[in-house]
Amino acid sequence: MSDHAATPAKTTSSSGFKIDFHIWGPVIALVVLVIAGAMMNPNFLSYGNVTNVLARSAFIGIIAVGMTFVITSGGLDLSVGSMAAFIAGVMILIMNALVPSMGVGIGIVLVGMASALVVGLAAGLVNGLLITQARIEAFIVTLGTMGIFRSLITWLADGGTLSLDYTVRELYRPVYYSGLFGVAWPIIVFAVIAIIGEIVMRHTAFGRHCAAIGSNEQVARYSAVHVDRVRLMTYVLLGILVGIATIMYVPRLGSASSSTGVLWELEAIAAVIIGGTMLKGGFGRVWGTVVGVLILSLIDNLLNLTDLVSPYLNGAIQGVIIILAVVLQRQKKAQR
Amino acid sequence: MNLKHFAGALALSTMMMMPLGASAQDAETAVIGVSIPAATHGWAGGMNFHAQATIDALEERYENLDFVLSTASDPGQQVSDIEDMLATRDIDALVVLPFESEPLTGPVARVKEEGKWVTVVDRGLAQENIEDLYVAGDNPGFGRVAGEFFVERMPEGGNIVVLRGIPTTIDNERVEAFEAAIEGSGIEILGMEHGNWNRDDSFEVMQDFLSRYPEIDAVWASDDDMAVGALEAIAQSGREADMWVLGGAGMKEMIQRVMEGDEQVPANVTYPPAMIGTAIELTALNFVGNAPVSGDFIIGSVLITPENAEQYYYPDSPF
Amino acid sequence: MSQAARRIEETVPVPKGQTVLAARAASRSFGPVQVLFDVDFELKAGEVHALIGENGAGKSTLMKILSGYLAPTGGHIELDGRRVDFASSDEAEDAGVILIHQEFNLAEQLSVEQNVFLGREIRKGFFLDHKTMRAETQRLLGELETKVSPTAKISEISVSDKQMVEIAKALSRNTRVLIMDEPTAVLTNREAEILFRQIERLKANGTAILYTSHKLDEIARLADHITVLRDGHRVANVDAGTMSEDQMAQAMVGRELSNIFPVKHEVGSAETVLSVRNLTVGSIVRDASFELKRGEVLGFAGLVGSGRTELMEGLIGVRDAEGTVEVGGKPFRLGSVKDARRAGIVYLTEDRKGRGLILTQGMRPNLTLLALDRFGKTMIDGKAEEAALDKAIKDFDVRAPTRSVLVGNLSGGNQQKLLLAKTMLAEPDIVIIDEPTRGIDIGTKQQIYQFIHALAGQGKSVIVISSEMAEIIGLANRVYVMRSGRITGEVQGADVNEDVIVRYAMGLEGRKFDSHE
Repeated sequence: MSDHAATPAKTTSSSGFKIDFHIWGPVIALVVLVIAGAMMNPNFLSYGNVTNVLARSAFIGIIAVGMTFVITSGGLDLSVGSMAAFIAGVMILIMNALVPSMGVGIGIVLVGMASALVVGLAAGLVNGLLITQARIEAFIVTLGTMGIFRSLITWLADGGTLSLDYTVRELYRPVYYSGLFGVAWPIIVFAVIAIIGEIVMRHTAFGRHCAAIGSNEQVARYSAVHVDRVRLMTYVLLGILVGIATIMYVPRLGSASSSTGVLWELEAIAAVIIGGTMLKGGFGRVWGTVVGVLILSLIDNLLNLTDLVSPYLNGAIQGVIIILAVVLQRQKKAQR
Repeated sequence: MNLKHFAGALALSTMMMMPLGASAQDAETAVIGVSIPAATHGWAGGMNFHAQATIDALEERYENLDFVLSTASDPGQQVSDIEDMLATRDIDALVVLPFESEPLTGPVARVKEEGKWVTVVDRGLAQENIEDLYVAGDNPGFGRVAGEFFVERMPEGGNIVVLRGIPTTIDNERVEAFEAAIEGSGIEILGMEHGNWNRDDSFEVMQDFLSRYPEIDAVWASDDDMAVGALEAIAQSGREADMWVLGGAGMKEMIQRVMEGDEQVPANVTYPPAMIGTAIELTALNFVGNAPVSGDFIIGSVLITPENAEQYYYPDSPF
Repeated sequence: MSQAARRIEETVPVPKGQTVLAARAASRSFGPVQVLFDVDFELKAGEVHALIGENGAGKSTLMKILSGYLAPTGGHIELDGRRVDFASSDEAEDAGVILIHQEFNLAEQLSVEQNVFLGREIRKGFFLDHKTMRAETQRLLGELETKVSPTAKISEISVSDKQMVEIAKALSRNTRVLIMDEPTAVLTNREAEILFRQIERLKANGTAILYTSHKLDEIARLADHITVLRDGHRVANVDAGTMSEDQMAQAMVGRELSNIFPVKHEVGSAETVLSVRNLTVGSIVRDASFELKRGEVLGFAGLVGSGRTELMEGLIGVRDAEGTVEVGGKPFRLGSVKDARRAGIVYLTEDRKGRGLILTQGMRPNLTLLALDRFGKTMIDGKAEEAALDKAIKDFDVRAPTRSVLVGNLSGGNQQKLLLAKTMLAEPDIVIIDEPTRGIDIGTKQQIYQFIHALAGQGKSVIVISSEMAEIIGLANRVYVMRSGRITGEVQGADVNEDVIVRYAMGLEGRKFDSHE
């Protein structure tokens, strides 16, 4: 097709000193937000506020890391928000039910955590099997399970709120509120997962295979990649990460209801796309997703810390920034 | 045991009901359709609970009453539900808690045109005189009672922050009445943000308020779900001793804390989800009793304090 | 009468031989790289002007400039003697200049008829006039002797039918200049004949035609005029008839081409490395049995659609297949590409853009995808990958403008070399190559032939599937011929010649099977 193949190999592109927005767009947006925030409110960069914002980002962030793999391999999962609510509900019910027999102790919290991971894994497995074995579109499968998980939590909570037993809650509370060397646990967990995620995406066969499947499933199949197995793995991985996010979420308020995790799926997907992963698959980067998540929660935080716009317009500001972040990345293509 | 709530719910209403169950022997079976929003937040969950509890009790007591309950998660779905009730379930009466006033007005008016009994709950329709019976909470009253409590509690004035609900008329009426009530009292509202009647949202909004304002004396959370989130954020910041929180709508955990004399949660304001039960019961009276009940019934908001908290405490309710 | 038909009739016949479209000293650079240097090129009414050159010589660029897809960075375009600047391909199409892409520009989910009239739908008042459009499409396809239904979905018709739909689409317009980018690459001989008749017809109507192909015999037969490009420069511009096929090839490559096929190795009585018995692939291939020897180049001949590709795809596990297969004397379980790779069998697909390479990724991930397990157990060793890419670029003479270029921006020949490199990275014993040189220039073809020859020399075994008879005859020690999903004959030694193979392929000779099967 292209005719520039006539030049010899190994000539390096001499683009000079230009900022590549495709790579740095999200980072620039993040830096601009931080500077704007620091200028508008002196408390913005305070230890307390930074901890708040990062810890809040952790749930969506942990989920978004998993979502990055799903989207990179050409899939989508709309069920994660409902799944988180469902897992939180099951976790609380199990822990409450065990109080009489086990007594309140570390054991009960560990059982709760384990159950979150198991339920997350099972939920991811259901999504993945329906998509890879029953060959139903990911959008449809996860739209269906989104409704199912949401109804299940409403049903489990009898339309109201499930609350964790007060004494267990006191024991479990530090998982969200305390930390190590002044860094809150959710932040630590998020950071560890993000770093592992980045390494897996960039430096392992699994990450490479995800990108290959998302780019061209046929090529992957002809190149001895177990397409279905890799796809299934992405959904299972995401399910487990939703479980981990829920483990961090439950100690925060100690409750779950039908309004838990509403729209988390869209926030996670938005973060992934802002970060530069392609919605149609084929290319993904976890560090970008982390930046995307931070951008989204910083916007919320900034709007709460200032009186710049009417609170009615918060959604509009978010929308504009999401679109801008993506437009910045597309610019390079348009210049061709 | 459901009857117990039911009785309690009725006690809240401003009108005292006549004894029920006079002539349950009418041969004709009456079908009453009940259309309410789905349980998307705590208050709605309580409302769903009370609707179901009332229906169960009435069905048990009167053989000639049938109920069709449907819950909708958006106004469009609610319109469809009502159309289906009319077309396929042949209802004789409709009890509706409109998701929103405007979109539901037409469909409900059509039910009325068919000669059916219509009871509207909580949110009025955009057009007057459609319904036979209107049962509602008092939103301006809800804000006013809260405001008056603040004025009483803070005679010297002080700094407060306000967590608002989902942007709706209900929320606007409450906030306007609240602002009117504290007018001139020296109480200053530092900030108002929407916590959307949601624990997680209010937690985050409250965290940001705490970062932003070093001096907060009290919080009007305007809803008990939001109060839960706000209290948690305050606990995280270690500023529990600095401020108290007023929620609203009478969630059982909050009532319990009021009952126990918790300094942080000194009071509550009712906005009873049980009003749906009252409405269903009053509608049912038309088919089992002799005297039809019509008109407007406004269930006022009442301040709950440690003194009277016990009578508003329903341990079995999910809300 | 339909609008489309009217349009064709309204075409004012330009006197034959008058210049319609011309490039004057056209140049084009992509960034710092110039790919076209001051090229003059004229298209005259009623003439076929062949444009030939190796992959990467600048043919595509020139065609895109002429048809408004690219603007020249130097020089200009003239239409009817006046300078024009096509802002887009749409403007060029409105002026009657139409390019038929090698990669089709068809909407896969729409029907044939919807595609033919896409963007120029005939309306009856406010509504679409389906009847007229269908009739018109039917008429055009009839002229092209294509049996495909106007209502068939593009995604469900064959590649050659797609080519015919593209041509029908061009014919339905007021086409003054038709630019055809290797139209016969995906056509069978019979279909190519139909195309040639249509080209003659268009010529007679006064259409100016630019024709490119790597098949020099077609050029010799069709062209009135020949322009040869090499490395972006025009190296020849002559009347056809003054240039033999050999001279064309020489002008393209810039050096003398001796026999492009290397001398075959002797295989003799070497051991059997692969034995296939009664392999059935879906409903396409029935009871295929064959053997492959060490150091052998085994040809698979037959018409397009005779089941050669499906047979090999069944063997390597991308299609469901049943049968008994032994590799090196050991039983081999069908069904997994990974197992096939472990057993030392690799397959180079004929569809390098759709199944062979990820066009949206760079060379490195493409190169190592098949043999990724060789680059570390849990973590991929990036340095080793880079080293492998260096070696691949050197060994296979992959010419890329930059190391980070997207594979989709490589020329066909370089893509094929990269695909070869990718496959060889798996260190196979048995290499199956499907259409090794489709859409590739003659210089690269020769390199690939040399390479296949060298593989056999190293004691590996190679299966070559090809529709180019010369390729099969020039390379293979032994040939199986397929017809309608069956292996109908086996030829070797002196019998490996066109005459015998064609007789098997056409069913004139060889094993007969009940027609109802």
